[in-house]
Parts: sequence; structure tokens; C-alpha cells
Amino acid sequence: MGGVQKKKFDRGAATNYITRNRARKKLQLSLADFRRLCILKGIYPHEPKHKKKVNKGSTAPRTFYLMKDIRFLLHEPIVNKFREYKIFVRKLRKAYGKSEWTGVTRLKDNKPVYKLDHIIKERYPTFIDALRDVDDALSMGFLFSTFARTGKCHVQTIQLCRRLTVEWMNYVITSRALKKVFLSIKGIYYQAEVLGQTITWLVPYQFSHDHPTDVDYRVMATFTEMYTTLMGFINFRLYSSLNLVYPPKLDSKASGASLKGEDDGDYALDSESYMEKLSALSSSLARVVSSVEEDEAQMDSFPVEGEDVEQMEAREKEHKEQEAQKRLFEGLKFFVNREVPRESLAFVLRCFGAQVSWDKSLCIGAAYDVTDETITHHIADRPNMEKQYINRYYIQPQWVYDSINSKICLPVEDYFLGVTLPPHLSPFVEEKEGDYVPPEKLRIMALQRGEAIVQDEDEEDDDDEDDDEDEEEEEEEEEEEKEDEQNLKKMETQRSQGKSLSVKVTPGQVKKEDRGRLEQEEKAEEKRLAIMMMKKKEKYLYDKIMFGKKRKVREANKLTAKRKAHDDASKTDKKKKAKKQ
Amino acid sequence: MPLGGAVAEVASQPMFPPQKKTLDSHSNMAPNRRLKRVAASQPGFMTLNTSIKPENLVSNRRKRINKNKKKNWNKHIDVNDVEDFLEDVRLQERTTGGLISDKSDESLFFLDAGDKKAATQTAVEPTEAKTGRRKASRPLKVDLILKNNSLVPVPKDILAYQLPNAKKLRNVAKKAEQLAAIGKVPKKHRPPTKVDGPTKTTAADAPNNPTRDFYDIWGQETKETCDPWYLRQTGKAPVKRREKWNEKSSLLPAVEIIAPGGSYNPDFFSHQALLLKAHEVEVKKEKEENKILKQLAYDKDDRATEESVFQEQVEGLEEEDYDSNDFNSACTLGILNLVEKKTEKQRKKERVQKIKEQRRLASRYKTGQQQQLFQLRSIKVALRQREQRTKERQTQRRANQEAEKYRPRRLGKLKFTAQDLEVQLTNELTGSLRTLKPEGSVLKDRFKSLQKRNLIEPRERAKFKRRLKIKYVEKRSFREIT
Repeated sequence: MGGVQKKKFDRGAATNYITRNRARKKLQLSLADFRRLCILKGIYPHEPKHKKKVNKGSTAPRTFYLMKDIRFLLHEPIVNKFREYKIFVRKLRKAYGKSEWTGVTRLKDNKPVYKLDHIIKERYPTFIDALRDVDDALSMGFLFSTFARTGKCHVQTIQLCRRLTVEWMNYVITSRALKKVFLSIKGIYYQAEVLGQTITWLVPYQFSHDHPTDVDYRVMATFTEMYTTLMGFINFRLYSSLNLVYPPKLDSKASGASLKGEDDGDYALDSESYMEKLSALSSSLARVVSSVEEDEAQMDSFPVEGEDVEQMEAREKEHKEQEAQKRLFEGLKFFVNREVPRESLAFVLRCFGAQVSWDKSLCIGAAYDVTDETITHHIADRPNMEKQYINRYYIQPQWVYDSINSKICLPVEDYFLGVTLPPHLSPFVEEKEGDYVPPEKLRIMALQRGEAIVQDEDEEDDDDEDDDEDEEEEEEEEEEEKEDEQNLKKMETQRSQGKSLSVKVTPGQVKKEDRGRLEQEEKAEEKRLAIMMMKKKEKYLYDKIMFGKKRKVREANKLTAKRKAHDDASKTDKKKKAKKQ
Repeated sequence: MPLGGAVAEVASQPMFPPQKKTLDSHSNMAPNRRLKRVAASQPGFMTLNTSIKPENLVSNRRKRINKNKKKNWNKHIDVNDVEDFLEDVRLQERTTGGLISDKSDESLFFLDAGDKKAATQTAVEPTEAKTGRRKASRPLKVDLILKNNSLVPVPKDILAYQLPNAKKLRNVAKKAEQLAAIGKVPKKHRPPTKVDGPTKTTAADAPNNPTRDFYDIWGQETKETCDPWYLRQTGKAPVKRREKWNEKSSLLPAVEIIAPGGSYNPDFFSHQALLLKAHEVEVKKEKEENKILKQLAYDKDDRATEESVFQEQVEGLEEEDYDSNDFNSACTLGILNLVEKKTEKQRKKERVQKIKEQRRLASRYKTGQQQQLFQLRSIKVALRQREQRTKERQTQRRANQEAEKYRPRRLGKLKFTAQDLEVQLTNELTGSLRTLKPEGSVLKDRFKSLQKRNLIEPRERAKFKRRLKIKYVEKRSFREIT
């Protein structure tokens, strides 16, 4: 009997966790410094499973950290730097108070600084680990680089962010890694594939900042500090992987001659104009070993066990498609008008091999003038232009983004100046079978498959003659129906087959159909038999799944019907308006 | 005559009034004085001042005074003759550069052989005076007056030649020389021992320096600077990071992409879907607000009427008697109940009853167990059902845990609140990139995303609290106007 009485909260969960305040005291840091340290080291608060046990019987909401994490933080050399900085600030304040100006300058010269290199290495042991986490870094970098230099954060941070993001964009251009772009009301979403990693980032529109009050700038600045260091190292690695010179340099051979001659007078410093030229994104970068245009690299085929020829072929096909997408705008020459977001367009167009230029007064790095006869596309965003060249298309910027997302050059007619644009669809939505697909997307899909679609009538034609219009509309509807049918064929095969039997058959067609149909019939037969052979339980499950699918199809059909009704209604409205006028 | 001339020449030198010497200086010069006195008493001594005679300098008269007291010594000694003598000696030193009596005759006298030379001199002088060169070379009268004519050399300023701490420095240098001979270099001249010690930090090292350069951090292996055992023992080895810390705290993507309805030129239906979503959020918010308002509202039936107010005022006035009566009766009954006692018979009966009951229960349990043998099948079914249930619960729990990884956790006082959905109404959509008005803030989006992924805890902005009250005082001048 006996022994020492067990105390409560002496072991178990209570000792595994530590409250934020206690952790802070243990590290002898102020709250701000503690928070900074945690962010830099990647130590985040935890929610314990049993709060009452951890909180020594109390249920008050608190922030908890794992004890082991905090003990790990104790070893960090940066903690000492924080303390040094604290002392530095105290000394500086004192010197200011006594107005000892020499002392102030001396202190400022010896301001304690810390480096984050070792933390980056520690948190991201391999390059791929770092690349997986670059989404956050990019978004933050692009965000900070658009900040005004108003003292909300250090000007140096803004400059560094700008430099790193420009480097990143130049890399994406050179490696042609961009895949998707989405213009949202919030900002522009980009998606690229770098070394097999899908990377998404968000870029705010320019000059769109109001500074929200409920955002902690200190926390954001700390994250940015970490992310900029990370991005620098990633950029270095990426540049060296492409054989590019790292602090990026413009290729003097390709475009330097034209640039140098004209703009040298306009900019005060060489170093200044260099960064500007880089961020213009108009010229290619210098390589370590000046390589000849690399010829089409054949993909090596490694036959993997358990992979049949079909899969291999599919993969090869996919690869080819990707290659084709990379050369989407190759050979085209664009001119960007001044009302269009220049940077985004220059970045996107150059990613797909186009040549871009703009007005010389708009930005440095303009390669050619408006008057250039070889320009193929002129991007403008105004109702109409006064002076138009006959040998080029005048289009709205959405054409570029839509073309990229659909991986083909879309017909230009829908995007002429003054024309109501088709909706800009999100490329990040992937419809599953049976989902509702908007007709615009269906059209694009058809275009991708290479089916020629009769051009839709422009709105301008509507005004001419009413009679013609009606007919045209009917045609349009029919087309739409056709498209719908194409998509819903799979769901309705059986029914349609039944109907098609009754239709008269020409001898030539019969043969063709027979082969396919026999196969199909066989398959259908097999399926029916399989269903018959099912166990009761499985049958039940199967029925359930099928019911769900049917319901989905029904809903999608309902939506298409609704859409049609909406379109009809809007058309009649327009007609009425036209008549009134 | 020649002798007198010499004396006159000497006397014509500018004379300074004799300075009054303090007694101190006299006592210091005592041995010197005696010597001079001795010289004066010599028969050949000559005075410069004609009023003083060498005989007077040495007085023959003796005064009678008591010499047994020092006071008398001081009082009655006549020092005038000494002082006069010393003044004279000083004068001689000043004007002639020594005592005249010591000088040789040749230096004092010359043979006057006529005025020839003097005549030529006076003849030449005016001609020379005319030339400017001569005039320039002649010193000004002012300078002549101010010139130090004393022949006593100016005493040396010793401090001008002395070094402060000379001795110490000499010693230090000596020691350094000795050490250098051995081969030791003093600390001051030694190069800094630590190579990577506290060097002067500059802005170049700061993490936000916009021109900093990067290197291949993943390519190079970290080189071992020291013996690993040594590093571990001294606590300098870097602590290994656990794999767990590199895991993501949430499975949510870093950049969440807005719904397709958030396009700047959206498809009609996706836009409607997004609007519906935003609408639902708003409805939910309103409902919650209304709930609180409802809870705060009072029931109208509870409103005080005249009747109820009167009732309340009257309450307690009438019913007092009733209460006291009731209480008394209850008390008496309780006491009576307690007093009643069980008889022996009753106790026995109760005991028998208890045993009987126990037996009944035991037999029932036994038969129940026997019966279970026949219920095996139903038991099995029950078991299976229970197992099924636990399995279902397990899967459910696991699914919940998975789902939890996508949800923001409770990390502090405040719960995570999602930001408002970015949505543009149909009339706000312009359909053109040029006229687009961006909605929401990317900065806030990033901040909320960090909170949502459990990287930081949601917090309220710290409120500024004033410790001391502000006191408002009207200025007098202002008060006069108002």
C-alpha cells in the first residue's frame, strides 16, 4: 500500500503540450518575435484532442504548441539574433533620446541581421520539396511586388519581390511551362507545370489595392521574408537547369542591338533600365553555353511492365499535344494597345512563342512599332479603332486567354472589337461524365476535336432582315441540338439505336453500321447478362449508382433546357428592342 | 673721464623699477645671497647704483636685542641693506650680463682716441638714411621698446620638453622589445583570431536585400567543419528536424481557385450558381442575427399591467399567517415520524423477505443462462450486428478525421471566419477587361488562406488601451471669449 500519491496533470497530454505564453517565456522572446520565429521555422499551433486534459481542467480556449516543437526551437541560432536586435533597438532609442548622432550612425552600421538560408535547407531537404511549396511563395511575391511604396512594408522587400517574380516569369517564358490562365474578378490565376509539379499562383490586377485593416502586416511580411529566400534559391536552381545565366541577363545577340540603341538616352542608370528591360519580358535570356536551337527531342520509350502498347501510345499522343500547345502562337506577331494589361499579356503570349510589342511610350523594350506591316494580331480593348490596318486582326484580349485554355487558336470572329464576347470559362473546372456542360464549352470541345462548325451569325447581321434572322436562328438552334446530342450520345445510345432501325437504310451505310453495331450489341448483351448474374446485394448497389447517374443526367438536361429558354428569351428581347429602334 | 663714461653708458640702459621680492624667494636664495654678500664685503666690489655705498651694505652697528625668541629675530633684523644689495646684483646681471666686479677691464673700458670715427659716422648717416633699404632694415621704435633687453637668459620651459607618462611608455616599449626578442607579438598588433567572428554586419546580409545573390543550396553538401563528436558534446551540432514538422498542417491547396462564376465575364449559369451561394451565406448570417434579436426581445404578455403592479405591491401583506401555520404543522409531523420504531417482528419479516428476493433473482439468472443455450442463434445475430455497428462507426470516424484535415481548426480564442465571397452582381459585370473593377483583396485572401490552413491562429487586432485618462482643460484665453 501507499507510495507517492499521483499528481494530476503530471504526465500524458498535459505535459505534451505547452501554451503559447509559456512557450514564449521559455524562449525569452516577445510575442511578436515568437510568432516570427514560429513562422520562419514552420512550427504551427496544435489543437489538442482533449482540451480539458491539456489545459489542466480548464476549458478556456488557448493556443497550444507541442512541447517537443518548442524544445526544438530552443536550439535555433536565430533566437539569439532576435535578442540582439532587441538590444540594438534599445540602444538606438537611447542614442536618439540623447541626440548622439554619431552613436546612432555607428549603431545603424552594425545593425544585427539574420540569414534564413539554413532554415530553407532544413525545411526543404530536397529541391522538389521546395518546388511543391512554391505556390504560396509566388502568390505572396506577386502580391507584395504590386504594393505601393507607402511604408506599409519595407521598400526593399517590395523591390526584392519584384525582382524574384520577374525572374520567375522569365523562367516560365523560357521553359514554356504555362498551362492555364483564368481572369477572375479577384485577380489572374496562372497554372504552370514545372519539372512535373503543377504550380498555381494568383496575381492581383495592377493598382487595385485598398489596404484592409484586419490583416496583420507583420505576419505577412515575415512569411514574405521566408518565401523570398526560398524563391531565390528555387530560381537559381531552375535557371541552372535550363542552362541560363542566373542573375538573368538579356540575350545580347538576339535583341540587344535594337534595345540598346534607342533607349539608352531615356533612362538615367544602366542598372535601372536593366531591371526594367527584364521586367518588360520582351526579350530572351542569355545562356551559359549559347546553344543552337534545340531540335525536337525524341521522347525515350521505356517499356514498363504491365503497360500495354495502347497506354504507351496514349502517353505519346499526350506528349505530342503538349508540344503542340507550347507552340500555339509561334510565328504570330502581336501588338498590345495601351489600354490592355501589358504585363500579363506579354507574359502569356511569350509563353507560347509569340512576338509581342507595344507603344514605345508605354514601356521600355518595345521591339517594333504599330506601323509594322508584319503584325498579325492587334490586341485592343476599345469599341473601335480609328486607324486600322487591313492585314491584321483587331481582337480583344480575351481571345488570347481563351485560346490558351482551349489549346487551339480559336476563331477570331467572336473576339473582334465591339463584339459582345463569349463568356470566359474557368479552365480549372473539369466536368465529369453526365455533368452539365455549358454550350460554349461544348463548342470549344468540338473545335478541339477538329470538327468544323458553321460560323455563328454575328449580332450585326441581325439588324438587316427579320425573315432571314428567324431562319438563321433555327439553324443555330439545330446546331446546338446537334452538339448536345453528341455529348449525350453515350447516355442515350440504346434508345437512339432503337429509333435508327426504323430509318431507311442505304446499302453502303448498312455495312459500315453493322460492324460497329454488332460490336455494340454484343457489348450491350454482355452487360445485360452481367447485370442478370449479379448478386442481390451488388444489384442493389448497381441500381443505386445507376439511379444517381440518371438523376445527374436529368439535372443536366434540365439546365440545358433552361439555358435554351434563357437564350431564346434574350434573343426575343433583343429583337423587340431592335424593332423599337 | 673714460671710466665715468663707461658708467654713464651702463646707467643709460632702461631701468625697470625693482620688484618687491617675497620673503620666500629670499630664503630660497639664501646660500646665493651669502655668497654675494661676501663678494660685496670684498674691497674691490663696485655698486652700480651710486646711492648705495659698499660700506653701507655691510653694517657695522650692532643692535642689542633678546635673541632667545624667534619673534624678535624676525622683528629686529634689518633686511633693507640685503635687499638693496640684491636689487643691485640683479640690475647688474640684467644690464651687463654679470657682476661688473667679475668682468675684465678690457670688456669695460676702451681707449678714447678722438672723435674721428664718430664724425665720419655722423656724416655718413644722413645719406644712408635717405636710401629706402637702410630705412627698412632699421627696426621700429615700438619693437625696440618692447624688445627684451635683459641679458639674463629666459628660463627653459621644462613642460614643453616633457612627455606625459613618459616613464610608463618607456617601460612598455622596453617590455615589448623584450617580448619581441622572444618572439611574442603584443595583442594589439595580433590579427583577429576568429575568421568568422563578429565582423561588421552590413545591409548586404539582410534577408530583404534586393540585390542579394543566391546559390545552389541543394546541390552542395554541407561540409563538416569540425569533428562531429566535438560538435555534439559542445552542443553546437545542428538539431535534426523531425520529418513530422515538414508535413502540411492542412490538406487544403495553397491557392484556392475561385468558382467559375467568379470569371470577369462569366457563363450565365455558373454566375447564377455563385450568386446563389453568396445569397445562402447572407441568409444564414441574417438568421443568426435575428436569433440573437429574438432572444433579446421580451414577451409582450409579460408586460406589467396596472393590475399586476398592484398585486406586486400588495404581495406579502395578507398571506403571512398561512405560511407560518403550514410550517409549524410540517415540523411536528416530521418529528412524529422519526420517533416511530420498528418492532422485532417486523424486522424478522423484512429479513425473510430479503433472502427470498435474493434467491429468486439467483434462480432467475441461472435459468436465464440455461436458456441462452437455446438462444445461440439470436445472440450470434446480435453480436454480428454489434460488430457491424462498430465497423460502421470506425469508418465514419476515419472519414471524419480525414475531413477534419480540410477544415480549419480551433487554435485560439477566436474561431476561423471565412471572408466574404467575392461576387459581382449582374449589373456590376462589365464584360470587358478594361472596365473591370476588381472585387475583394488578394492580400486578405492570402491572409485568410494562411489562417484556414492552420498556419496562424485567427486573432483580433490588439486594441490600444490608454492607461491614463485624458484630461481636458479649457485654456484661460479661450475661456474668456466663451
